[in-house]
Amino acid sequence: MMDVEEERLCLFGIADCSLLPPTIMVRLITHNLLACHAKDCNANNFPLQFKDVKLEFREADFNPDFLKGFMPKIEWKALVDTARELGDTSLPLEQPEMLDDDFLKNLHHVLLEIHVEEGSMTCPNCNHVYPISNGIPNMLLAEHEIG
Amino acid sequence: MVVDEVREVSSGPQTSLLALAPLRHKMPSRYLFHFAQAHDDFRLPELASVAELHGISYSLPQEPENRDPKRPYMAIDLEREDHARTLARRCVLIKAVYEFYGQGSTYKELHEANRKSKLLWTRYVEDTSFRFLVTAYQHKIPQSRQRDVIESFSYMGFLGKIEMKNPEITLTVFEEYEDRHGMTRVKYEGDGNFRQLFFGRLLEEGSARPLIGKFDVKKRSYYGNTSMEAEVSLLMANQTLASPGKFIYDPFMGTGSMAYPAAYLGALVFGSDIDGRQMRGKQKTPGVIRAATQYGVASRIIDLATFDITHNPWRCGELFDAIVTDPPYGVRAGAKRLGRKKELSEEKKALTLQHSLEARADDQPYIPPTKPYELSHLATDLVLFARYLLKPNGRLVFFLPTVTDEYEEIDIHAMLCEGMEVIANSLQDFGSWGRRLVTIRKTTREQYAPPTFPPRLPQDLDEDVHVPAHKDFREKYFQGFKPKAEESKELS
Repeated sequence: MMDVEEERLCLFGIADCSLLPPTIMVRLITHNLLACHAKDCNANNFPLQFKDVKLEFREADFNPDFLKGFMPKIEWKALVDTARELGDTSLPLEQPEMLDDDFLKNLHHVLLEIHVEEGSMTCPNCNHVYPISNGIPNMLLAEHEIG
Repeated sequence: MVVDEVREVSSGPQTSLLALAPLRHKMPSRYLFHFAQAHDDFRLPELASVAELHGISYSLPQEPENRDPKRPYMAIDLEREDHARTLARRCVLIKAVYEFYGQGSTYKELHEANRKSKLLWTRYVEDTSFRFLVTAYQHKIPQSRQRDVIESFSYMGFLGKIEMKNPEITLTVFEEYEDRHGMTRVKYEGDGNFRQLFFGRLLEEGSARPLIGKFDVKKRSYYGNTSMEAEVSLLMANQTLASPGKFIYDPFMGTGSMAYPAAYLGALVFGSDIDGRQMRGKQKTPGVIRAATQYGVASRIIDLATFDITHNPWRCGELFDAIVTDPPYGVRAGAKRLGRKKELSEEKKALTLQHSLEARADDQPYIPPTKPYELSHLATDLVLFARYLLKPNGRLVFFLPTVTDEYEEIDIHAMLCEGMEVIANSLQDFGSWGRRLVTIRKTTREQYAPPTFPPRLPQDLDEDVHVPAHKDFREKYFQGFKPKAEESKELS
């Protein structure tokens, strides 16, 4: 379905994604916070594996204080591995002790500016597939998966 | 600074007592707050929240009648003038802030107080253009008397130019009349029978109020029939202490009404909902993102996800600075959670399992069954959920509908758990029912295991547990909030 604006752009032959409002996509900060929560799936249920993804990069406000405050919450290995899988090797394997500006900028980019468009996330343990549609991951469980 | 020295020796007997206090380095100054005529129960909680966010200390008037939040004017002491300005820029319910020159129940008293404040206004006497206004709350003052009032201040001896447009300073006299809602009266009736007079110099008009127009739901590119009105969503955002670098979560995101003001104030917002359709709308770009784009805050909507809070995928707790939400309470849309109203037979269970595992040819996603989520259970669960997900000192801000005749304060306290404390509870009154904006602070540093939310069965009901008036709110709403006695009479 197209809205009026989109239709208008098509008419002029300039229907280009960049002219439309950004589609939301799963950012790596979200990916780092969600685990499989199906019934009895309690171990090895994180990180979820991205499949068939398309990437997009979008600028976000750089806020060093937010990043520093958020650092202790990050599962570092999961973040670095996922970023590398998606082609970003800017983060060190170990969380550094000195948080210089270069590091924070890389972290900012990985956490907040890499977006995963359509695709899915699969649990490495129970293989539950969480589909992502229009950038919104569907984390609902099926009837037999709830406790 | 000269100005500061002037302040310290000014403003009456109360401050001269404070001057003896050994630890006070700086005397507070007094400011007159003019509140907007709306949501009086929300005024002081908003003031307290914004003051906390900006590290402003303030003191309200000593006498209970002078700090009654239902009254439109209040003289509040602050340490610095820029604190008064900050409050006026961020509080939605502040119309304007004035430097306080005096108050009284008669003009004689007012003039006496104003003469004592001379050191505050004497610097404007020589050569400052000014405008002098006389205005009233709940009354219209005849022009002739307005002139008389202005003339009665002639002893101030202002020599500057009188300028109605763009004066350097504006001096205002306020006459406060009692509320006379719904009473018919002839024009100017009761003129002069004011309750109290206030006088001061305009410092700053409230600049957060125009945001109500900016966030007007009707001008929003995406909204639904349960979208929260702009003014209240802004008040909620202030209760969350939203500011740059804060991480805020709405677990009943719906069409995102609470997210936009919070993001506008700088916070990063995450939204989830059991029903993705509300967040998504009917176009490719989710409705929430379209509306956020309109306000220039799309990059601060971190992500959206579809899930049920009773079966949530959060990997760990202590993530958010605030949780802000308007849970669906059932008048236009009832809350839902995963599960079935009635358990299926084993045979049917096997069939549905098979069905949900099979690939669907039509490409339609599998939609799990949901059942109603009773409001009082939802509220209790929400507090537990928030305690797990909030950082220490984080806030849970949400609306709870209540039945006016049955509400008791214990209703709110009955939903609390250890480490969660109510810091504000403001009523928006709709007559037979109302809704309360509840602000709860996480006071504990203890880390909790992820809470589970087992479905409650009717036989689990404990006789000793307090039954809050918001229980079965939906049913009560559609029955017109009849008292129990009447109900049983009708049945018999």
